[in-house]
Amino acid sequence: MRLDPLRLGSALGAVALALALALWPMLRAPEPRQLVVPGAVGTALVTLAVAGLWPRALAWGLGLVGVEYLLSLVLVAAPPDLTAPLFGLAWLLAAELGWVALEARVGERPWAARLLATAAVAVAGTVCGWGLLLVALLPLAGGPWLTALGVAAAIVTAGVLLILARASRAA
Amino acid sequence: MPGERAHPAGGLSTGWRTRAWGRLPAYLALGGGGLLAAVLLGRPEPVVVVAPMLLVAALGLARARPPELEVLVRLERERAVEGEEIELVVQVSAHRAVPRLEVELGLPPGLRALAAEPGARPTGLAAGATRTFRRRILCERWGGSLVGQLRLRTRDPLGLFTYEEERRHQLPLRVYPSPQTLRRLLRPAQTQVFAGNQVARLKGDGIEFADIRPFLPGDRVRRINWRASARRGQLQVNQMHLERNADVVLFLDTFSDLADASGSSLELAVRGAAALADAYLRTRDRVGLVSFGGTLRWLTPQMGERQLYRLADALIDSEVVVSYAWKALEVIPRRTLPPKALVVALSPLLDERSLGALWDLRARGYELAVLEVSPFDFVPPGSRPAERLAYRLWRMEREQMRARFWAAGVPVVLWPRGEPIEAALMAAAEFRRQTRVAAR
Repeated sequence: MRLDPLRLGSALGAVALALALALWPMLRAPEPRQLVVPGAVGTALVTLAVAGLWPRALAWGLGLVGVEYLLSLVLVAAPPDLTAPLFGLAWLLAAELGWVALEARVGERPWAARLLATAAVAVAGTVCGWGLLLVALLPLAGGPWLTALGVAAAIVTAGVLLILARASRAA
Repeated sequence: MPGERAHPAGGLSTGWRTRAWGRLPAYLALGGGGLLAAVLLGRPEPVVVVAPMLLVAALGLARARPPELEVLVRLERERAVEGEEIELVVQVSAHRAVPRLEVELGLPPGLRALAAEPGARPTGLAAGATRTFRRRILCERWGGSLVGQLRLRTRDPLGLFTYEEERRHQLPLRVYPSPQTLRRLLRPAQTQVFAGNQVARLKGDGIEFADIRPFLPGDRVRRINWRASARRGQLQVNQMHLERNADVVLFLDTFSDLADASGSSLELAVRGAAALADAYLRTRDRVGLVSFGGTLRWLTPQMGERQLYRLADALIDSEVVVSYAWKALEVIPRRTLPPKALVVALSPLLDERSLGALWDLRARGYELAVLEVSPFDFVPPGSRPAERLAYRLWRMEREQMRARFWAAGVPVVLWPRGEPIEAALMAAAEFRRQTRVAAR
């Protein structure tokens, strides 16, 4: 059986990135043993998915890697993590590589314009992330109003996505 | 196809079907989870981490619109001969930019798309741009079909959605059986009144020597046979056979068909009929057709190139239509079967109605020859003893039927698959020669 180089390369890239993302919080956490389970299971699920054994597990695997990162944030309880935008960029890259590997199974090939557009959007998202972190670093006194504003922002974001989804379905 | 509607740009269309890849729901779910986690934990990092994913999902949703394409399809030509290649041209114009477009071609049986040209790969189209896809099609088997079924697939700029549409442009394509050269044909015993290539029994102006007779006033001097005149002591002139044309009616039995993976008895019969029509028309004979089956088709005998195309068109439309109605020769228009015509029947001799029609033709005095398209090539003898016994009985019954035709002076010749029709024709000619000798 001849392996598709695109599928093999993207699958290996996705697994390597998922592994790196799983290891990164462990290196920073004081008690890394608590992060082993979600990190290992997440990486294993990503591996299973890109190998074609369980394609639906890709989102779950990525989700577990993300959960591991959140756990590390809770455990460390440090000031805002300035590497978070880079983690987000690598997380998206792992997801994209995983989906390219899955699409390659059914004969789909990524095209240059798509890769460039995705890369541009990812970089823009990362820059936005740093912007958010900078705002978070501002010495503002917290309180119910600021919390309510944050909740409202999250709800508005979810609402905008919902409206876009409805509009795309109508189109 | 259910759900199809006429497309303004031509053809029938299923409309665009949108399919979201697994990425979009996953990004939305992970992004939503990040937002929720940020609220619950009161930390900005979860939002920061999911921000690229949310941005990809939001932009993908904002740009999600089915493409607006205008598709024109045309065939290089409407007629081809088996084995020929023709070109199908698909011209796609985009009203809005399409990041990726794939055009897949669906072809009916008997046609095969050859390897796509390098330019036919998936491509992007700018707004207002036009792209032409060319595809070579090999006509593998004769028949009439409608070509132009396309599947258009496009993707959105970020690859989150796939849009698919099927369009059917009904372009008629007629593929004629490949010509088969026949060197020898079954000669009709009786000829018609028009000039042709058949040597008539009647004497007159011709090339073939027939007899000598005494000179009469008005005879041309160049007709005098000087050697015979010297021997007999009076002037003798040569008499020649007239060259006349003949009427040939091809009788195609479409009541029954036997088929396997590599062909069918009707296909074989149609090929044979096409070869015979071509060969008889070349010798300036008038050729007609009776396609006798569930649906009756006929062509009155005529000569010429145009008749060849009419016959080919009628032959490729031949198909077996199941019918239980009894049909006899009365349903065939009288002009289709002119007197003194040679009727060449191509039939697997399986249906009683066809057999009845053949007997009727013989009874009406038509000169009849039957090329029996061998059904044995399509029916295996079976593996069990009972099956093999039934098979033997069936073969014996068929031999008996053939013997009845022979006794009536009708040559019935088995035409096995894979053998040239010329061999069967020669066997029929030999049978006729022997019966004439026996009759003397």
